[in-house]
Amino acid sequence: MGLDRRGFITFLVGGAVGTLFTPVPWKLADDVSIWSQNWPWIPKLQYGARSEAPSLCKLCPGGCGLSVHKVGKRPVTAQGNKNHPLSQGGVCPLGSSAVQLLYRPARVKGPLKKNNGRFEAISWEEAAQIVADNLKGKKIAALSGDENGSASEVLAGFLKLLGSDDFYFMPSDAQVSQRAWSLMEGKGQLGFDLENSDYVLILGADILSSWGPVVRNQKAFASRKGKFVYAGPVQTGTAATVDKWMPVYPGQEGVLALGICYYLLKMGKSASLKNFGLVRDYILSKYTPSVVEAKTGVSAAQVQKLAQDLVKASAPCVLVGSDFGQGSGAFEWASGILVNLLLGTLNQKGGLVALPENKVITSAPWRSELNQKSFLKFLDEVEQGKAVDGLLVYEANPLYALPQPEQVKTVLEKIPFKVSFSTFLDETAMACDLILPAPHFLERFDDAYTPFGVGQEIYSVAAPVIEPIFSTKSTPDFILEVANKLGVDLGFASFEEVLQAKAESLGTDLESVSAEAYTSDKWLAQNSLSLPVEILATGLETEGEGVFLAPVARNYLGNTKQALTPFEVVVVKEFELQKKDFYIQVNKNTANKLKLKQNGKVKLQGAGGECVARVNITETVMNDVIAAPLGFGHQAWDEFAKGKGDNLFKVLSVKEEKGSGLKVWNRSQVKVVRA
Amino acid sequence: MIDREWLPEGVERCSFGKFAVWLAIIGVVFAWGLYATYRIFANGLIETNLDNYFGFGLWITFDLAVIALGAGAFFSGFLKYIVGIEELKNIINLAVIVGFICYSGTMLILTLDIGQPLRAWFGYWHPNVHSMLTEVIFCITCYCMVLIIEYIPIILENRKLNQNKFIHNLAHNFHVFMPLFAGIGTFLSTFHQGSLGGMYGVLFGRPFAYREGFFIWPWTFFLFVASAIASGPAFTMLIATLMEKITGRKLVSYETKALMGKIAGSLLCFYLFFKFLDTWYWATDTLPRMGLTFDQMFNDVYGKWLLWAELGLCGVIPAILLVVPKFRNIPFLLYTAAILDCIGIVINRFVFTVQTIAFPVMPFDKWYSYVPNWAEWATTFEILAYGALVLSLSYRYLPVFPQEKELN
Amino acid sequence: MEAIEFKVKWGMVINIDKCTGCGACMVACQAENNIAPMVDGSDKRMTLTWMLVYELSNGKPFPEHDIAYLPRPCMQCGKPSCSTVCPVIATTKDEEGGIVSQIYPRCIGCRYCMAACPYHSRYFNWYDPKWPAGMEKTLNISTSVRPRGVVEKCTFCHHRFMYAKEKARYNGEDPMDLPEDAYIPACAEICPTGAIVFGNLNNPEHKVAKLAKSKYAFRLLERLGTDPQVYYYSEREWVRRQGDNYLPHEKTKGE
Repeated sequence: MGLDRRGFITFLVGGAVGTLFTPVPWKLADDVSIWSQNWPWIPKLQYGARSEAPSLCKLCPGGCGLSVHKVGKRPVTAQGNKNHPLSQGGVCPLGSSAVQLLYRPARVKGPLKKNNGRFEAISWEEAAQIVADNLKGKKIAALSGDENGSASEVLAGFLKLLGSDDFYFMPSDAQVSQRAWSLMEGKGQLGFDLENSDYVLILGADILSSWGPVVRNQKAFASRKGKFVYAGPVQTGTAATVDKWMPVYPGQEGVLALGICYYLLKMGKSASLKNFGLVRDYILSKYTPSVVEAKTGVSAAQVQKLAQDLVKASAPCVLVGSDFGQGSGAFEWASGILVNLLLGTLNQKGGLVALPENKVITSAPWRSELNQKSFLKFLDEVEQGKAVDGLLVYEANPLYALPQPEQVKTVLEKIPFKVSFSTFLDETAMACDLILPAPHFLERFDDAYTPFGVGQEIYSVAAPVIEPIFSTKSTPDFILEVANKLGVDLGFASFEEVLQAKAESLGTDLESVSAEAYTSDKWLAQNSLSLPVEILATGLETEGEGVFLAPVARNYLGNTKQALTPFEVVVVKEFELQKKDFYIQVNKNTANKLKLKQNGKVKLQGAGGECVARVNITETVMNDVIAAPLGFGHQAWDEFAKGKGDNLFKVLSVKEEKGSGLKVWNRSQVKVVRA
Repeated sequence: MIDREWLPEGVERCSFGKFAVWLAIIGVVFAWGLYATYRIFANGLIETNLDNYFGFGLWITFDLAVIALGAGAFFSGFLKYIVGIEELKNIINLAVIVGFICYSGTMLILTLDIGQPLRAWFGYWHPNVHSMLTEVIFCITCYCMVLIIEYIPIILENRKLNQNKFIHNLAHNFHVFMPLFAGIGTFLSTFHQGSLGGMYGVLFGRPFAYREGFFIWPWTFFLFVASAIASGPAFTMLIATLMEKITGRKLVSYETKALMGKIAGSLLCFYLFFKFLDTWYWATDTLPRMGLTFDQMFNDVYGKWLLWAELGLCGVIPAILLVVPKFRNIPFLLYTAAILDCIGIVINRFVFTVQTIAFPVMPFDKWYSYVPNWAEWATTFEILAYGALVLSLSYRYLPVFPQEKELN
Repeated sequence: MEAIEFKVKWGMVINIDKCTGCGACMVACQAENNIAPMVDGSDKRMTLTWMLVYELSNGKPFPEHDIAYLPRPCMQCGKPSCSTVCPVIATTKDEEGGIVSQIYPRCIGCRYCMAACPYHSRYFNWYDPKWPAGMEKTLNISTSVRPRGVVEKCTFCHHRFMYAKEKARYNGEDPMDLPEDAYIPACAEICPTGAIVFGNLNNPEHKVAKLAKSKYAFRLLERLGTDPQVYYYSEREWVRRQGDNYLPHEKTKGE
């Protein structure tokens, strides 16, 4: 067989082109590309009508109004409600994750009962019966992490009718401020009218990262009329943005406040206190510039400059709080209040204000009364033999978020019957006998009355935006049901009625307050304030040994109630967490002193425990201070939070404050050893 | 030997058993790579150590390197068929086979390297004519086809196959057309070698690679062409030498090898001259205009030692050794120089691929380093094993080396 | 390829002096754009964050030290380094508004665009997206879920632009002359301090147009010639200096 030139070319070209004329390669390529765009294991979008529903974020006490965007019946994103005074369209990263938390793997899917160390599913009827049986005629205590919701009021009222005064809130600056204010014979709840201030001096409180109603603080900062100055040990989110940052040792903000008072008094400022003379003499003699400088690390000249700037401002406001929102004492708060009194800003526009209170459950104590009580003191009493038969835990995770949680665990083991109403399987729920999950807040009615820190009376209510996904029950409704079983009458048949009554007590109704928050400009006039000087003595105590610890709370690390959320995982910075290790932050100077190396493993040892961390050297922390994040080291929850880093609460050490008897832990010191 | 009648005439080959053992060794490496390939296709690129900072890594470096080293094929073809240097017939078959291995290997790696291998053909169907990569895809594909066409007649010359009259005629016809294909190959290769350089040169967001205006076209373009043809012939010659060491037989005369060395050396001198100018202009003009200094381009890991190694140790030194006849005629120096030459070009392709993206352009960003993982290595070795396989079979069954009979 | 001049040019001005680094923008972005959560986020080279907040340091020791936070979306460059290099036209800048598109079903995942982008704004889907059981019910209808193996990036919430245009047409208004608040990406909308301002850079009525002209305004790596549509603003000189590469003797922009 011969093959000439022509034949050869025909053979080559024909062969190639011929294949292309069959449909096989084309159809195959087309199908393959379509398939690669429709992999069956990739979720498809479920279309539906778009809508928005107003809601309220209950992930922290900040009380942000949410706007939940829905597709059909499905909520898809949580955004800020532009019409809500506390969010004004903004939300923090926690609130922004609200919708996805509906399906957080750690959610408790139905009532559970512990049987020989293992949880078994039970029915809600069974649950109500078990709870009723265990409460009848028993000594019951309750702990709530919801410091401004009516659910706590229902719980406190219920306890009172059972003959118990043991209702507690999780510790926060809200309580301490109330305690200090009461010691000063003040009335109402303290707040800060930051929106109208032209010079805001923040001592300690990290108001733009985590403290108080953080989104509202950020909004007030964004539309500020004058300066914001922040004094704290670490360059946090607040320090990064304010007009001026002043380094001050952790827990010394009260001393700094009194240092300012010294100069104000020298300028002849006075405050309407019954014992003003005594207070003045005490401060002028004890809190001299050199003492303040030594304690705070702030030079006398700088303190004097602060005093002068405050006096020059037309509406100054001084906000004193704990760096991480808890653990401060009456000393800090009384000192902070005193600066404001000397500046004459009490109940003035832009100043420190006293807000009204409200309650509708007759048997429940006022919030200001509830805030006087400390759960840590209760734990002391239990440890010393106080008989308690049962503990109800609502929206709180004391086994994680109280200082020295291991000791807390030991004490709580003495209480034979513990119920957690947690929505999520947290550390505390794991240690309880019953878990009776509350619905996620987007699935239930809930409210927030004047979150601590805001400058006006505000009431917000949210109706559910989605049917409960799991077998959950609103805790106040469950309590009302149990009360009914026990023949105890709280005066309401459902929680919705409680909210209706509350709205009506404010001169509005449930429907309008669900659509738009109620606000008022009522400030409570004060008379006959005083300041027991013994409170002021705390600042003069000598410090213990070890390095100052500055815990840093940021909402992108979760908070005391909610562990790091799935969407926050990527927000955590490289030198906050690496795989299983979290980082402490020290500056070069401190690192050299303590002989610490970048990425080196260390053990922090506190009075009641220790935790393991790695070292990051950064100049964002002042000399001789270790900064470390709160929020890691969860042992429960789900893969997004569990086993990441260590729990800094373990190394916070609790002291009793003289004068107020409060427990404080904002001045924890630790030892650092190489691990 | 059971395959005796398939072996080329008049040459000796090892026993089939020995050959089978050799193939088995290659097979083990190949199987390891195949396993990695399977994992990558099944689970995606998460099986590799590539990341968002290092989207390009070992694979792209390997691709660029073997394409440069495979340039021996088109350039030898160009010199033999177009320029008419007859002596190259002694090594041209090997150059073609090595080129074929390099290009087909690259294409295999590329299908692994893209995130959606099933859409690999989009490059032909939805081409973006502005993208250098489009040019590369088209040219590489076309040139790979040319290499296949050039390889086929060598296969057809197998003793047994060639007994078939049709095949015999076919092979003859292929040979007649060879200058045409050599020409097409040269054209295509010049293009994509240049485009590969252009691929980096146009990245105006990456100061390490970016060259401005004239320094992209034609400068960088031809730098890549020049560096490829300065190393390709050396690589082909090294492969021939390696095969001689393994088989224990003389395959190519030293004169031919030295000629290849001379060609590579001359081109290396040409390349280095312009490369130095390019580097100098980049360091003193291009970088400062972007607000950067030469020193900032390097860190502890990707240090200046890479540059000195590339241009000095593996640039100037082999260039001298290869162009000076006295050195070139000493086998040890010839081979050393050829090895250095090839390493230099590999370093060049590596820094353009990896250091380009390692340099943190945003002042607040930082350097990261990249280390390939086992899956990337395994697949790379898979291609090397594939190359060894093709070469072994070709050597055993095809008349690759015309000089083999007379030299042994 | 010549850059196209658009009548409408959506842009951002991010006030770094207002950013507290809270991360709300990053979370809002994930929820809005159906980005699957990750169990471990500590390897920042593997995470997928269309919006990423960088921490900036002035490099000085305490107490002269200062920090700032810089949120980084896609710069939607006027002269994109990415779209021109894409071999399969999977990313383009050809639509009125000037948003650089990303066509996921077209993308072959070659990552050349990532090599081209100096801002690290582009991300590769190393994993198939996976939501914890049930959480896929919260998927938005904004944008399809991307499979592994393709590149993705911030689109200025392009779907919101589409809705806004649709709404304008429905109301008989000009979709090419949208008011400032008609179209805002999720990150800008949620930012609690209002650090991210969004609007049409070509509309002198819009805040962004005015802010972008401030002497404190700058763009990232302006000298490379990418011509970003994202501007930053800081009254701190050291922050502006970190926005671009400068030789020691050169003056910072705005000084």
